[in-house]
Amino acid sequence: MVGCSLSKQEFKPTLPVEGWVPSSLPRELSVIGKPLNRRDAREKVNGQAKYSTDMIIPGMLYAKALRCPHAHARIRKIDTSKAEALPGVKAIISMNNCKEWMTYWYMIPQPAFPEEIAYSGQDVAVVAAIDIEAAERAIQLIEVDYEPLPAVFDPLEARKSNAPVVPILDVNVNATRSGNVHSSDVFQRGDISRGFKEADVVVEDNYKLPGQFHADIQTRCCVTNWDGEKLTVYESSQGVWNVKLQLAKSLDLPVDNVRVVVNYMGGGFGSKAGAQRYVHYASKLAIITGLPVRFELNRRDEFVSHPRRYGAHVNLKVGAKKDGTICAVQCKCILDLGAGSLYGGGISDMILHHIGEAYKCPNMHVEVTGVYTNTVPTGPQRGVLNPVGVFCMESSIDDLASKLNIDPVLLRLKNYSQYSSEQKKRPYSSKNLDKCIYQVTKEIGWSQRDEIARLNLGKTKRRGIGMSSYVLARTGYPPYNAKAQLAIRNDGSIELKTGVVEIGSGQITVLSMIAAEELGVSLDDVKILWGDTEGSLYSPSSHASRITTEMGPAVLQAAALAREKLFQLVSRKFGLKSDELLSVNGKIYVKSNPSLSISFKEACSLIPPDEEIFTTGSRGYNSEMEVYRQFGAQAAEVEVDLETGEIKIVKIVSAYDIGRALNPKLVQSQFYGAIMMGLGIALYEEGDFDPKSGILLNSDIHQYRIPSSLETPDIQTFTVEADDVHYPYSGKPVGEAPLMGVLPAVRNAIFHATGIKVNELPISSAKILELEAN
Amino acid sequence: MPSKSLSFSLNVNGKDFKLNLLSRTTLAEALRNNLGLTGTKIGCNRAMCGSCTVIMDNRPIFACTVLAAEALNKKIETIEGLETGNKLHPIQDAFIEYDAVQCGICIPGMVMSAKALLDTNLDPTESEIKTAVSGNLCRCGTYPNTVKAVIAAARQMRNSRVGGMLSE
Repeated sequence: MVGCSLSKQEFKPTLPVEGWVPSSLPRELSVIGKPLNRRDAREKVNGQAKYSTDMIIPGMLYAKALRCPHAHARIRKIDTSKAEALPGVKAIISMNNCKEWMTYWYMIPQPAFPEEIAYSGQDVAVVAAIDIEAAERAIQLIEVDYEPLPAVFDPLEARKSNAPVVPILDVNVNATRSGNVHSSDVFQRGDISRGFKEADVVVEDNYKLPGQFHADIQTRCCVTNWDGEKLTVYESSQGVWNVKLQLAKSLDLPVDNVRVVVNYMGGGFGSKAGAQRYVHYASKLAIITGLPVRFELNRRDEFVSHPRRYGAHVNLKVGAKKDGTICAVQCKCILDLGAGSLYGGGISDMILHHIGEAYKCPNMHVEVTGVYTNTVPTGPQRGVLNPVGVFCMESSIDDLASKLNIDPVLLRLKNYSQYSSEQKKRPYSSKNLDKCIYQVTKEIGWSQRDEIARLNLGKTKRRGIGMSSYVLARTGYPPYNAKAQLAIRNDGSIELKTGVVEIGSGQITVLSMIAAEELGVSLDDVKILWGDTEGSLYSPSSHASRITTEMGPAVLQAAALAREKLFQLVSRKFGLKSDELLSVNGKIYVKSNPSLSISFKEACSLIPPDEEIFTTGSRGYNSEMEVYRQFGAQAAEVEVDLETGEIKIVKIVSAYDIGRALNPKLVQSQFYGAIMMGLGIALYEEGDFDPKSGILLNSDIHQYRIPSSLETPDIQTFTVEADDVHYPYSGKPVGEAPLMGVLPAVRNAIFHATGIKVNELPISSAKILELEAN
Repeated sequence: MPSKSLSFSLNVNGKDFKLNLLSRTTLAEALRNNLGLTGTKIGCNRAMCGSCTVIMDNRPIFACTVLAAEALNKKIETIEGLETGNKLHPIQDAFIEYDAVQCGICIPGMVMSAKALLDTNLDPTESEIKTAVSGNLCRCGTYPNTVKAVIAAARQMRNSRVGGMLSE
C-alpha cells in the first residue's frame, strides 16, 4: 500500500443514497480494511459448493440444441417428425412452433428461432428428452433444409455497401441500421486540422484487437422447473434479477411468478450478466412439458453460441510539438459486433475514457463505428472496450516518445490532465495517477532503462521494460437501482438480504463487511442472503465492477439505519440520547464513558421477541458536481528471443488508485485475475474463424489458449490509497481496472527490448519473427 | 452405440461402492452421477481444463477421460475425502488463507493436483508447483496465490510430520 491522505476515520460521507445519508463513524474502522478470508471459501475448497451443474431434480429432462452449420442461411423447412417419434423425446421447439417468440438479452428483444440464420452455431431447434443420449439422437434426426447465403466475417468488408446483409439478432437495431453498420459515434473537441498543423511530429498506426472468448471454466448450465404457475430457474448467471426480468418479459409471465436462484457461479467475466438464449429455451421447454429441464452447454457450445468480446480495428494518429506537448489526437475505430450485440452509447464511450481524458490535448476527433458480421454475437468481457482505447493510445505515446527522444514517463507526466475536460474544469472525485506511475516505474527499475538497452546490443535474447497508465469509468449505472435490506432480531441475529450474485470476486464478503462495520460487530455475526430473487429486492448484476460501488452504499445505509434504531432502544432503556452511543467489536458504549457498555447481543434482547428491526437501503444518483473515474499504471519486464520469437514475461508491476482497499486480500486477488486475463489478450487469445465458412476453428480450450500457471510471471501489486467520499469508505471498484495497462505495458516493453512494434494482438512469436525479418 | 452394463465396485475415499454402470461411463460421471460426489467438476470433458482431477493410486488423473471400469481395484481419492471430521486438509486451509480461490469451479481439481504433488514431495520448488497444477486451468487467474498456498501447506505438513515424529 502506498499512503496518500487516507484518514484513519471515515471521511465526511456524501454517499450516493436515496433519503437519509448516514454520518461518518466517529471511530476507527474495525472491519473494513482488514485482509479477511472470503466467506464462501470453505465450501469451495471442500467440494460442497453446489453449482447449477451439480443440480439434479428427479425426473428432469435433458435439453440439447441443434446448431446451424452455416454462417448465413435461410431455413426453408424444418422436419422434426422423426425426432419426435424417437422414444424418450418429450418436446422440440423451433421456428415451426415458436414463430413470434422473442428472447431478451439485457432487455434487447431477439427472435428465438428466426428463419434467417446469422452465424454458424446459432440455435435452430432445441430438444427435451428423458436423458441426454435421447436428446442427442433426436438432434441428429431433425431434418433442416437450408438455403446457404453469402456471408461476411470481416467488419472492414461488412461495412461496404455491396456486402451481404447480416440478419442481426437485435430486433430494434434492425429497424434503424444502415447496411451492416450500427452507427458511428463521434466525439470531438477543438479543431483537429489546426491541431495537426501545429504538430512538429505525428505518429500514426493501425491496431487490431481480436474479440476474446470468455472461456469460463463452468460451462453454462441451468435447471428450470414449472409448477403450472411459477417458474423457478437454477442458473449460472451473474445477475439473478436480470434473468428474472428478461424471462418474465419473454415468456409473458408476471414478474412475481419467476424465481431465479444462483447458488454458486463458475466464472462469468461479463458473459453471464444477462439471461442467455439457452435459459429461455429451457424455461419454454419446462412450461411445455410440465417437467424440470436441465440444459447444459458443452465446451464447443460455449465457444460458438455465447457472446464474445467485441473485436476492434483502430487507426490512431497523434500529433505533438517538439517539447512533447500533445496537440492533436485522431482515432477511427471499427468494431466487430458479430451477429448481435449489447452495443450503444455507453459502450462506445469506453474507448473514449482513456483516449479522451488521459492527456490534456485540446484538439481531438474520435469516431467509433460498430459493424455487424456473420460471426458469434458480442458483448461485454472484463474491461469491455476500455482495453481498446488504452492499448492504442498508450502504444502511440511510446512511439511518440521514441520519435521525440523523450522518456515515455516524462512524456506522460508532461501531458498529465488534471480535469476530464480542460474547458469545463469539472474536478475528478479523486485522481492519484501520478503516484501510481511513480510506484510502478520505481519497482520495475525504470532508471536502468537505457542501461538495459545498451546491454542488449548484439544479443539475440533481449530484455526490455515498458509501462502504461490507464483511465476508466465504473461507478454504477443509472437508474442505480440497488436495494439492500437488513434485519436484526431479538436473539441477536443479523441478516443482510441482497439479490446480488457472488461470482468469485468477493461480493458477499465485502457487503457483509460493510454491514458489520456500521453495526459494530464482527463479519461472522452477519448472515447474508444472496443469489436469490425470492426474499430480495432488485439488485444489480455482478458485472462492470459495480457491486461495492452500487450496492455498497445501499448496504451501508441499511445497516446504519438499523444501528440507529437499536441505539434508540438502548438509549430509551438507560435514559440516554442515542447520539451518545457508539458500537464497535460487538459492544455498545457510552461515548463519554466507555466503561458503560452492553454487548450488542444484549442490546438486541430489547427488541420485542415478535418484532425485528428491519431497514432498507437504496442507492441514489451520482452527484453531478464531480467526474468519477479510476486510474492506474502498470509496468512490464520482458525477455524476447529474436531467434525463436519466444516472449517471456519476467515481471508485471501494477498500481491502482483504489481509494481504500476494503479487503486487501480480495483486492489482490482481483489484481491477479485481471492481470492474468490481460496477459491472455496481450499474448495468446484469438478466435480463429475459417475465412471461407466463418466456422470457429479453435472452439476448445486446448486450441484457444488461456493462461495457465506456467504463463504466470512474477506479479507485484500496489494500492494507492486516498479519500474519495463518493464511494463507501472510499472503496473504488477494482474488478476490471488492473487488466487495462497490461496490454500496452507488454507491447511497449517488447518495443523497448527489440525495437519491434507489434500492434496486432495477440503478440505471438510468429509476429515477432515476421516483423524482425522485415 | 449400445453400451454393455457392468457391475463392479469402486474404492473411493477409502470406501467400497457397488455400482451398476454402462461400460462407457467415465469415472467423472460415476463419481458425480452415481455416487453424488459433485465436488469433481467437468469443465471440458476431454482432459483439457483439469477441473475433474482426482487421484488414482497416488497419481493425479483427469477423471473425465478415464472409464469408471478402469478404476477397478484402484484407490480413488476425491476432494470430498480430504476433510477429516470437520477438519480441513492443510492444503484446503492454505487455499482459504492465501485466497487461492475465487469462483471456485476449478478448485477441487487444483487442490487434488496439489495433494498428489505433496504426497510425494513435501518441499517443492515454485516451479515444481506451477508444473504440478499446469493442467488445471483457472480463468479467475488465482495462480500466484495457488503457489503461495501450496508452499504454505507443504511447510505446515512438514512441521506437523516433524511434530508427530517427535511426539512418538
